[in-house]
Amino acid sequence: MTSAMLEVRNLKVAFPCPGGIIRAVEGIDLATKKGECVALVGESGCGKSVTALSIMRLLRTPPSVSRVDKLELAGRDLTHRTEREMERIRGKDMAMIFQDAMTALNPVMTVGKQIDEVYRRHTNLGKKEARERTVRALELVGVPEARSRADSFPHELSGGMRQRVLIALAFACIPKLIIADEPTTSLDVTIQAQVLDVLRTMQREHGVSALLITHDLSVVANMADTVYVMYSGKIVERAAMQDLFTDPLHPYTQGLLASVPRLSDDKQAFVQIPDTVPHPMRKPTGCYFHPRCSRTSGRCEEHMPRLEALENGRQVRCWHPLREERET
Amino acid sequence: MSTRNVLLQVARRGGSLLSLLKKLWGHPKGRLGLILVSLLVLVAVLAPVLAPYDPYDVTQRAEKGLRPSLEHPLGTTITTGQDILSMLIYGARVSLMIGIITGVILAFLGALMGVIAGYVGGFADNLIMRVVDILLVIPTLPLIIVLTNLLGRSYFVIVLVFVAFGWTGLARVIRSLVLVLKNSNYVKAAELAGASRWYIMTKHILPGTSHLIIMNTTLTCAGIMVAEAGLSFLGLGDPTAISWGKMLAEAQGGGALLFGAWWWILAPGAGIFLAVFSFMRIGIVMEEIFNPRMKASSSIYKIFKHLNNTYLDEVFQSMEDEEPDDSAEEPFSNAPAPEGGHD
Amino acid sequence: MTASGDSRNPDRLLEMENVSVNFPVKRAYPFSRKRWIQAVTDVSLGISQGETFGIVGESGCGKSTLANAMIGMVRPTAGRVRFQGEDLYTLKPKAFKAARQNMQMIFQDPYSSLNPRFTVYDIIREPLYIRGGVSETTMKDKVLELLRLVGLDEEDLYRHPSDFSGGQRQRIGIARAIILNPRFLVCDESVSGLDVSVHAQIMNLLMEIQQDLNLTYVFISHNLAVVKNVCQNMLVMYLGKVMEAGDSDTVFANPLHPYTKALLSAILDVDVSETRERILLQGDTPSPIDPPDGCRFWQRCPFAMQGCETIPAELVEIEAGHQVACHLISGFTQEQMDRGLHQPVSPQSGD
Repeated sequence: MTSAMLEVRNLKVAFPCPGGIIRAVEGIDLATKKGECVALVGESGCGKSVTALSIMRLLRTPPSVSRVDKLELAGRDLTHRTEREMERIRGKDMAMIFQDAMTALNPVMTVGKQIDEVYRRHTNLGKKEARERTVRALELVGVPEARSRADSFPHELSGGMRQRVLIALAFACIPKLIIADEPTTSLDVTIQAQVLDVLRTMQREHGVSALLITHDLSVVANMADTVYVMYSGKIVERAAMQDLFTDPLHPYTQGLLASVPRLSDDKQAFVQIPDTVPHPMRKPTGCYFHPRCSRTSGRCEEHMPRLEALENGRQVRCWHPLREERET
Repeated sequence: MSTRNVLLQVARRGGSLLSLLKKLWGHPKGRLGLILVSLLVLVAVLAPVLAPYDPYDVTQRAEKGLRPSLEHPLGTTITTGQDILSMLIYGARVSLMIGIITGVILAFLGALMGVIAGYVGGFADNLIMRVVDILLVIPTLPLIIVLTNLLGRSYFVIVLVFVAFGWTGLARVIRSLVLVLKNSNYVKAAELAGASRWYIMTKHILPGTSHLIIMNTTLTCAGIMVAEAGLSFLGLGDPTAISWGKMLAEAQGGGALLFGAWWWILAPGAGIFLAVFSFMRIGIVMEEIFNPRMKASSSIYKIFKHLNNTYLDEVFQSMEDEEPDDSAEEPFSNAPAPEGGHD
Repeated sequence: MTASGDSRNPDRLLEMENVSVNFPVKRAYPFSRKRWIQAVTDVSLGISQGETFGIVGESGCGKSTLANAMIGMVRPTAGRVRFQGEDLYTLKPKAFKAARQNMQMIFQDPYSSLNPRFTVYDIIREPLYIRGGVSETTMKDKVLELLRLVGLDEEDLYRHPSDFSGGQRQRIGIARAIILNPRFLVCDESVSGLDVSVHAQIMNLLMEIQQDLNLTYVFISHNLAVVKNVCQNMLVMYLGKVMEAGDSDTVFANPLHPYTKALLSAILDVDVSETRERILLQGDTPSPIDPPDGCRFWQRCPFAMQGCETIPAELVEIEAGHQVACHLISGFTQEQMDRGLHQPVSPQSGD
């Protein structure tokens, strides 16, 4: 598997707190190939953001405790690096695009200067050359009048422009891996489409691997090659994007897909999954999804299903996946 | 409002004060602050009982410049022969009284101005803010000196100036908060239901600022105590009263350093330090309590100290998938899912 | 021209006639030119009892301001708002208050719409408490009844909002909104901040309540799929003006305005089977301060013509129950075409 870019094996993260311990991530595996876009989908509280922070080693102990069997980027181990080494890796080999551009960008520095800084930190460019690269980067992401825009402050730009700046920042050194955490959630619909377009183009053209973290299935449908579905700290399904959307195996995935309102729907009640996601400190016994599942049985209540590997690289964690009916 | 409702309101508000005290007690640093403040207040109140001598009583003067001994644990002053320990105890009265009284008046005035400026807005807001701007520019120390010359040296003048000029800080902060609260959706919802401005001010805005007011007041009290000490040191306070600042001035003037009577300097200094320290401690702890994001740091460190490695191992072990049973149980049962599952 | 029918119809619960709302921009220095934010310009609409009326648009289009003008929170700079036949803003204070108690709003952000210091009981009963005239026991009974209606427990009564999730807080907000038995409810992006599965639950709850209590909804959203499902009539707004309006089935069957088409294509659909024609707009939404004279969409419109910049587009009825404000659809006059105003412009990018 020489084309493996990111490999995460058995990542576990917990947060001790006064009332007990929050099991945020319970032993997940992730893998990204070179140039592949992998999506990690789940609702709020499922642990996906914590996963992203863990991979970048941005979680501090305290308040978290984590264990991982393997965390490698392009074959090089990340777990035993010092903070200084990680700083060098972040920005150069690994970059993150956050949801809220306003908090991710330095408000007292012009955007041009912030991108310049990335270039000057990780390469040996002088001031002028760095600025040339910055302008080119801004043009690539579709910022009009890039040269003059580079001297704007973040608050002078609109939300969509800021996200583009973030993308330019992330791609500045053509990293090996980009982690995008809800990159378009706070944007308007039309702007969202534009920004996602830019992101997808940049990712494909530069052959950069991407880990896309989102709760929005439509974003996944437009960007991802492979999808992991996460529920309450565990991966419950993994499949190629087309397979997941046309042939979901896990009842949660199916419920999630059904509850997305579509233009093609008739005027009827919205499909809903009953109840709510479990509280991270009070998780159910057995399979975490069983209280909301229409296919649950006694076994589901007592034993957590294992993540079974199927053909085509698919995985599912369920005692009664949706395939059963198709087989009988 | 029926009597029952009024009592309920008081109980609820008093209840929150009680819960605040409980939270302070639970916090280790807060507990220290509470204990110190209570001690200081006790000392101030029970001064006549606790002090071995009455420093105001001329007949109780002893020999001047005595070193600490059993009869005079902190010695006597070089200038007048007063017992320093008694002076220390009585000094607490002045400092605490001025600090607390001024602090409370400032809390009322500052909050009132801030709420009016923020909520009523418009002309009132402009007026109040311009007054604040003017007040901030006027230097208080020369003003106190001038007034002292006019009206004579007394604590009344000092308190007057503090009150007249000190409300600006709180007013500004409260005004900002009120501006934010005013635009909250829950205020809008109340307005939709027909709430009067008075209702919104008393039910939503004021309670929303209470934390800020209390916190600010404790810190203000601390600041005022230091300021008062400084002014008394300069000789601007009541010449007949005994205050820690004045003790320091006397000590310096009376040649404590020259004669090596370090206890005379240390005593009032320690008094000022303790008073200010305890109030600030409470203020800082309250900020931690009120601001949930700050609270995390201290309690989390505590939890981590007590964290057991075996407990963690257990937790992480429990996250592992179960090993496959060697029994005939297959991963997927070939039979379709049973009916009557949860819905 | 009003959306959905003629005005002054007695069946109409709410009507707006040529409503405009302008806000002054704070001046940089005292004698600079006064500038205006034209949040809403010349909007007319009519909403019937029991229907769900959709308002679609992105941020800055004026939909929230329009909603606020509907419920008496913002006085229009021009035009009239008629509720139950009466001009809302000319009512005497007492009648105004009484009229507004018939309207309520459910807000977008579940985290800032509930006072964190209040208990759930306080929050839900507040409108009733403000209106007064009801005993404590009656209030408690009513609150319990509503709690059950929105799917919460009796034991949640004395908890604080911080104990609840986003979806649960919206339920509390809904209970608060209906306690006074309003006739008219504005849902301002009420489900936008919620997770997808909770989204569906809350929408279903809203629809149930509408049926049970015979409510009229104004549903503001940028999610066209939801609007298509629940709204009978709708309008599409951009930068304060109505771009397209009418019966929602008709509009969705045949979207005409370039902006509507762009919105529809921008909805990243979950149907991976078909690839839709993508209309990607250039540039960002311009600022609503001193907007252009002509069609406000012209700068981003892929089909803009010379005349679009200066000549405003009027809402024209294209088919029954469907109005559009676009020169592409309604065409130019012969005189204007003689001036070459129908020549296409290459769309600019950027603002």
